[in-house]
Amino acid sequence: MDPQLTEVSQQFERFKAAFVRKDYSTCSDLLSRLKVLLTKFTSLPPLFENTPNAAHELTLARDIYEHAVVLSVKTEDQDAFERDFFQLKPYYVDARNRLPPSPQENLILGLNLLRLLVQNRIAEFHTELELLSSATLDNPCIKHAVELEQSFMEGAYNRVLSARQTAPDATYVYFMDLLAKTIRDEIAGCSEKAYDYVSISDARQMLLFSSDQELLAYVNEEHREWEVKEGFVVFQKAKETAPCKEIPSLQLINQTLSYARELERIV
Amino acid sequence: MAAVMVSSAGGLLAMLNEPQPSLKHHALTHLNNLVDRFWPEISTSVPIIESLYEDEEFDLHQRQLAALLVSKVFYYLGELNDSLSYALGAGPQFDVSEDTDYVHTLLAKAIDEYASLRSKAVESNDMVDIDPRLEAIVERMLEKCITDGKYQQAMGIAIECRRLDKLEEAITKSDNVQGTLSYCINVSHSFVNRREYRHEVLTLLVKVYQQLPSPDYLSICQCLMFLDEPQGVASILEKLLRSESKDDALLALQIAFDLVENEHQAFLLSVRDRLPAPKTRPVETVQAIEITDAPNENPSGDVQMADGAPAPAPAPAPTPTIVHETDPVDATYAERLTKIKGILSGETSIQLTLQFLYSHNKSDLLILKTIKQSVEMRNSVCHSATIYANAIMHAGTTVDTFLRENLDWLSRATNWAKFSATAGLGVIHRGHLQQGRSLMAPYLPQGGAGGGGSPYSEGGALYALGLIHANHGEGIKQFLRDSLRSTNVEVIQHGACLGLGLSALGTADEEIYDDVKSVLYTDSAVAGEAAGISMGLLLVGTATEKASEMLAYAHETQHEKIIRGLALGIALTVYGREEGADTLIEQMTRDQDPIIRYGGMYALALAYSGTANNKAIRQLLHFAVSDVSDDVRRTAVLALGFVLYSDPEQTPRIVSLLSESYNPHVRYGAALAVGISCAGTGLSEAISLLEPLTSDVVDFVRQGALIAMAMVMVQISEASDSRVGTFRRQLEKIILDKHEDTMSKMGAILASGILDAGGRNVTIRLLSKTKHDKVTAVIGLAVFSQFWYWYPLIYFISLAFSPTAFIGLNYDLKVPKFEFMSHAKPSLFEYPKPTTVPTANTAAKLPTAVLSTSVKAKARAKKDAEQKANAEKASVSESGSGKGKEATEKEGDSMQVDSTATVEKKAAEPEAAFEILVNPARVVPAQEKYIKLLEDSRYVPVKLAPSGFVLLKDLREHEPEVLSLTDAPTSTASPATGAAAATQGTTASAMAVDDEPQPPQAFEYAT
Repeated sequence: MDPQLTEVSQQFERFKAAFVRKDYSTCSDLLSRLKVLLTKFTSLPPLFENTPNAAHELTLARDIYEHAVVLSVKTEDQDAFERDFFQLKPYYVDARNRLPPSPQENLILGLNLLRLLVQNRIAEFHTELELLSSATLDNPCIKHAVELEQSFMEGAYNRVLSARQTAPDATYVYFMDLLAKTIRDEIAGCSEKAYDYVSISDARQMLLFSSDQELLAYVNEEHREWEVKEGFVVFQKAKETAPCKEIPSLQLINQTLSYARELERIV
Repeated sequence: MAAVMVSSAGGLLAMLNEPQPSLKHHALTHLNNLVDRFWPEISTSVPIIESLYEDEEFDLHQRQLAALLVSKVFYYLGELNDSLSYALGAGPQFDVSEDTDYVHTLLAKAIDEYASLRSKAVESNDMVDIDPRLEAIVERMLEKCITDGKYQQAMGIAIECRRLDKLEEAITKSDNVQGTLSYCINVSHSFVNRREYRHEVLTLLVKVYQQLPSPDYLSICQCLMFLDEPQGVASILEKLLRSESKDDALLALQIAFDLVENEHQAFLLSVRDRLPAPKTRPVETVQAIEITDAPNENPSGDVQMADGAPAPAPAPAPTPTIVHETDPVDATYAERLTKIKGILSGETSIQLTLQFLYSHNKSDLLILKTIKQSVEMRNSVCHSATIYANAIMHAGTTVDTFLRENLDWLSRATNWAKFSATAGLGVIHRGHLQQGRSLMAPYLPQGGAGGGGSPYSEGGALYALGLIHANHGEGIKQFLRDSLRSTNVEVIQHGACLGLGLSALGTADEEIYDDVKSVLYTDSAVAGEAAGISMGLLLVGTATEKASEMLAYAHETQHEKIIRGLALGIALTVYGREEGADTLIEQMTRDQDPIIRYGGMYALALAYSGTANNKAIRQLLHFAVSDVSDDVRRTAVLALGFVLYSDPEQTPRIVSLLSESYNPHVRYGAALAVGISCAGTGLSEAISLLEPLTSDVVDFVRQGALIAMAMVMVQISEASDSRVGTFRRQLEKIILDKHEDTMSKMGAILASGILDAGGRNVTIRLLSKTKHDKVTAVIGLAVFSQFWYWYPLIYFISLAFSPTAFIGLNYDLKVPKFEFMSHAKPSLFEYPKPTTVPTANTAAKLPTAVLSTSVKAKARAKKDAEQKANAEKASVSESGSGKGKEATEKEGDSMQVDSTATVEKKAAEPEAAFEILVNPARVVPAQEKYIKLLEDSRYVPVKLAPSGFVLLKDLREHEPEVLSLTDAPTSTASPATGAAAATQGTTASAMAVDDEPQPPQAFEYAT
């Protein structure tokens, strides 16, 4: 066997061991070393050369990147997630007919969808969705994400929150928590537009907080423009800033008429 | 590549964000390969890649890789400037030898950028910062071109970028230095727009030439002429003449002929004056002269030269006797010097041309007769137009039969018509330097006698003398000056001024200038106009201070004629000065007076003549559509023709829109612009553009279009373009149509003259064979185009005629019998068939019977028939030629028609694919590419040229030579007996040296 391949396999074994131990910092170190090693293989994307070990190498690399994605979820690092996912993607898309499908594939795709939802990147979410086959759409992991998005769009926020319990995999929990926050931001945005002021208790209920303290902390952190006084949350300030544009219709009419008059005079 | 391709660059782009440098490097490398497909994806990540490039901590290689990637993305986005600046950042990663669109585009961009920076640096004289990286790329490119053997590219880039050092390198390293040099000369003429820079390039070329082991003196001398360095040419000529070898001497003679072809009189004269005077042997002079009959050291040079030329033939006989007494080297040197001086003064070539035009004259008197009969007598415009047409048709042939036969008719010309009728003789006898004065004598003002003839014919005669001696007026200048001074009749002054201007063309002679100026200051409209033009002719191309003097007077005077004459004169002074004339042009084109602006258009035309300079074209087009005066607009369009004549294909395209203008003046200008720039080319687009204009609704547009069409179609045979025949028929129809406007009728008459100009043996050519401008020709056409205001100026077109001949000369400057081949169907380039009289009125014996050329025709026909027989070697043709011979004997006059007819009959069989021509032969420009030399020929040309004067090297020197061009124009004196004139002498001894043509008998006007 190719010594490089052996080395990668060994390192990967150590990585997996550390991963099981939940020793994530060791994992990260090993992972970056693995990635550098992987660049030596010519059979990997984007070259896809037909080396004797191609299939093995591809599988191994895919495995590594899948682990990397999961690791980034564990370490709650969204940037790393994105990076690793994009590097993993060619293995799913371009290497589809060279490799047996990965058992993890749907799980990872579902995670990615969820991430997009969390980051409120709805357009990209749908793009990704379009790329999936109808068979995969029935997969529980994917279906979960799709249903979440639908509820999210409808404004059925309680259904979204309750979906946390039905998450298909433990890794989803992290994103579900984040999703709750995304939902809260949405609600806050809507109430800002809808009300001039709301009582603190109503606001707490609406924003799904369990205590007033949490609410106040949230207001302090995210919406400094809101005012809390006399048991009400006042949105007035935020509204005032909204620019009000009036069309100077009278002036425009006058101008147009004078142009017309002058035109007539010239001719 | 693998079968599977990636579908997205997303993975690699993500990798760019990885913390590890090696991963980034990996990603960059792969992205660089994938960028051609995935640039849209990558373009969103450009900021990241840019930051990688700017990251100081990165290693250099990686940063360059990033720069290259960004550059490629910008290239695909169409942001070439950004792309270039990043490509420069990529340093060596940017591989100039890569064969991709990206590299090609960027290289072009880089070179453009560099070239524009360099020329800006040179032109504004201040330091422009040039990115050293840019310079490095261009240099890399140059080196690559040189190592790849693409020398032409390298030279092109080097010239564009003003890198003379690299240019020199490219030339010297090339495998065919001669070829590259001549290519380079071509390029520098056609693409280097700035005059000063072109000078630098040419100086360099001369330097390179001289370093060669076997320098190409022909080309060097051409360059030196352009650089205006007579000393250099003179020393080269001297060296060649002093050489032992006869070949070198032949080469020197050839150089002299080539220089003469460019018609740069002032330059030629200064070369000649720099050559030492033919030294006679200092010690034994007395004996030498006693023994020989001294043809060689004929000291008084020029005029006698022509007479002296044949002398070297008997020379071998006496020379052996003096060999032991004198230094033979000196003797031959002196002899050669005399010859070369004769050539440089232009007289040898003029005389040979004259002989050629005379002997080959094929003009068709019937056409003139038809014109004469169909125009109304009382219509003086058409009457004089017919006289003009006759003069043009016979320009330089010395055949004035038509005038002689129609003295009565001619006498109807009165006043200015008489002036031009007399001047027409000058055109017919153009180049007849020896006899010119005596020919014109009957009409010249008789000093002191006081009013022998009419002032109009006297003035015309002076003008005629100018035309005869155009550009070679050394012998006649003094006489013209005297005539000018001794008269105060403005008509005579007019003629004398024009004559002086023509004969002293471009010499900038101070004394003449003062004489002419004093005429100008008399403020007489008629004389002043001619004086203005004359001053311009004197000062052609000198760009002197005097122009401002002239301009000041133009503002002062009241007479429009004078202003116009001066405006044109000023324009002439800036001929060929390009940027040097810009101030003056600016001054003139901004003037209040439309006539001066009109002169400004001519100044633009002449200063940038033949350069196809974009700036000039833009300016002219601007004036053509924006000026308020019709005259200025017309001239602006017309001027385009001058600017573009080096590139005739362009003109029809540029003026095509203008030719559809609502303004008839602009249409007229467009027609003449095409006529001028495409003259003699028979260019199909030009003809298509002119065709609709010949039936324009406005009469003067038709006139212009007909003249222009004739200029384009000169010497194009019907076989090569059928529209020539259509045009001839159209002309005939217009002339015969009673209801046609006078203007277009005049146009048609002139057009028939131009179409058959110079006995059908000349074309209008503004460029010499070496692609230099022919000064005289350009000036001639410029003044010609002025005929709108002043008909006598029509004669200036004769300056633009150049004979289409191959004239081979031996060492003694004689025309030996020498055959060569034209590898094309003879019908393509043959003379148009003579018109036949319509059968209805053939009762009378036609005047064609007394064609002075019929003797010649007879001889030629015989020769033709024999050649055909030889060439075809078919029994049928033999019988045909037999028939031809019989016909010849029976009827000399109609022979020409008959023989062609028999040939026609035979032409049912395939026409011969080639034709044997005998020196000197008519070789029309289109035919030049078919000219081939016969193998095992006795003579070998010194340079391979299909036409013009070519010196021949004799490979069999000991055999007696057979000379072919021996008949001097003799028969003109007695046209009636011309047919009976002696057959041509064929031996050298019979060379009729003394047999100069007699002056024609004077004809009287019946006024």
